[in-house]
Amino acid sequence: MNHLNAPVTGELEEIRLRTGRPLLVHSGRGEYFLGPAGIVDAGGACRVHQADIQEVLLLMTEYSMYARDEELRRGYLALPGGHRAGFSGRTVLENNSVRLLRDISGINIRICREVKGAGEKLLTHLYCDRDKRVRHTLLVSAPQAGKTTLLRDLARLLSDGDVGTGRPGLKVGIVDERSEIAGCYLGQPQLDIGQRSDVLDGCPKAEGMMMLVRSMSPQVVVTDELGRAEDIRAVEEVVNTGASILASAHGQSVSELLKRPSLAWLIENRLFERVVLLSRARGPGTVEGVLSGEALYRAKEAGGQSHVC
Amino acid sequence: MFAKWLGALLVLAAAAAWGERQAIRLRRRVVELEEFRLALRLLMAEIGYTATPLPRALEYVASRLKGSGVRSFFTEVRIQLAEPGLVDDASTAWSRVAAVKQETLALEADDWAVLTRVAAGLGALGRDDQVRQLELADAQLSSLATEATEVCRRGEKMWRYLGVFGGLAIVILLL
Repeated sequence: MNHLNAPVTGELEEIRLRTGRPLLVHSGRGEYFLGPAGIVDAGGACRVHQADIQEVLLLMTEYSMYARDEELRRGYLALPGGHRAGFSGRTVLENNSVRLLRDISGINIRICREVKGAGEKLLTHLYCDRDKRVRHTLLVSAPQAGKTTLLRDLARLLSDGDVGTGRPGLKVGIVDERSEIAGCYLGQPQLDIGQRSDVLDGCPKAEGMMMLVRSMSPQVVVTDELGRAEDIRAVEEVVNTGASILASAHGQSVSELLKRPSLAWLIENRLFERVVLLSRARGPGTVEGVLSGEALYRAKEAGGQSHVC
Repeated sequence: MFAKWLGALLVLAAAAAWGERQAIRLRRRVVELEEFRLALRLLMAEIGYTATPLPRALEYVASRLKGSGVRSFFTEVRIQLAEPGLVDDASTAWSRVAAVKQETLALEADDWAVLTRVAAGLGALGRDDQVRQLELADAQLSSLATEATEVCRRGEKMWRYLGVFGGLAIVILLL
């Protein structure tokens, strides 16, 4: 890694280790094979051995698999600095759910990058100056299009407030089920999430949202990747308490979003006042459109055709 | 004549000191076994209840121990884990420190056999299995500690008397 030049490391997104296959890095500039002296072609790349995978895993868990078994069961580990490692291997099932992951054969180290100011433009669509509140918002995109980065920056901006425009700082509660938003390590946020933010790290979303509302009186609840039925019920509860919700969900388009029954229910009941569509068209975090809840509802009624406004 | 008595006194003192040393070693074994039992129970709580990663769990355990010998055992395992590239896994670190500490601690081969078994799978098992393994080691150390207490009770006086009377016997023979 020391032999990589600054443009590649500066835009590094992923490091891929797969047993018996070459070591790969992905950056914003493309994909590179790594050899002992830096970037090489596929033939000269370092081959990853099972022992390498095991060693990396032990280092990531501080030689303590028991301490991270819950995360490993879900297929990922949060790392210091807000980075994250995903795993593939053989799953061991119990009562039809994954009990553990063994014979790990692939590790994907995802490099976390804070983009401060990424949410500034978008905030003008989401913050209601008259009511001094944030509109219930859902960020939607395919994976790796910058949802989490944007959520993090929005949380920071809302939490800190803006003295220049007179926007007050809000109490922000973050339910960070997969330690991606705040990048907590040993319970401490590694990334800037603002002065008035509280984080529930590694907590299931639905339970976490209710815990935060009961205990921390947030004005904004932030969470990642809604999808399960219990998440949707929790969102409804949060909205009913008067707190604003700022969440994200996977989806390529509005029509795809509307095909997911739980999310479609939220749209149908007009819980979200804004839906933001993101893509990688001009780099991660490209805002393709900001839809009002009403427009989205109409889109649903019209059969899932998206209208960007 | 004076030199003769001085020599006799020195022989007697050396023999008595040797006997005392043996008695102290028996007592130290009991104390060290109890310290290890306390340490394993603390480690069990750190793993089973708070799921603390090994380096910090070992540091916490060491901070709670009074006996410098057992405390340094846990401190050194932690240091081995903290040093990048020094060991492949926690099991190697534990075994390596155990091998070194056999020279300085008063524990017997049976005690070390139990402690060395703790190393198997250390840090590489799930939480429940890890706790079960430590519970087993604690139970085995408990029975060894009971046995060591009995040996100490019987042997402590015996070694002291043996030292003094052995010294006297040598003095009488030499005089």
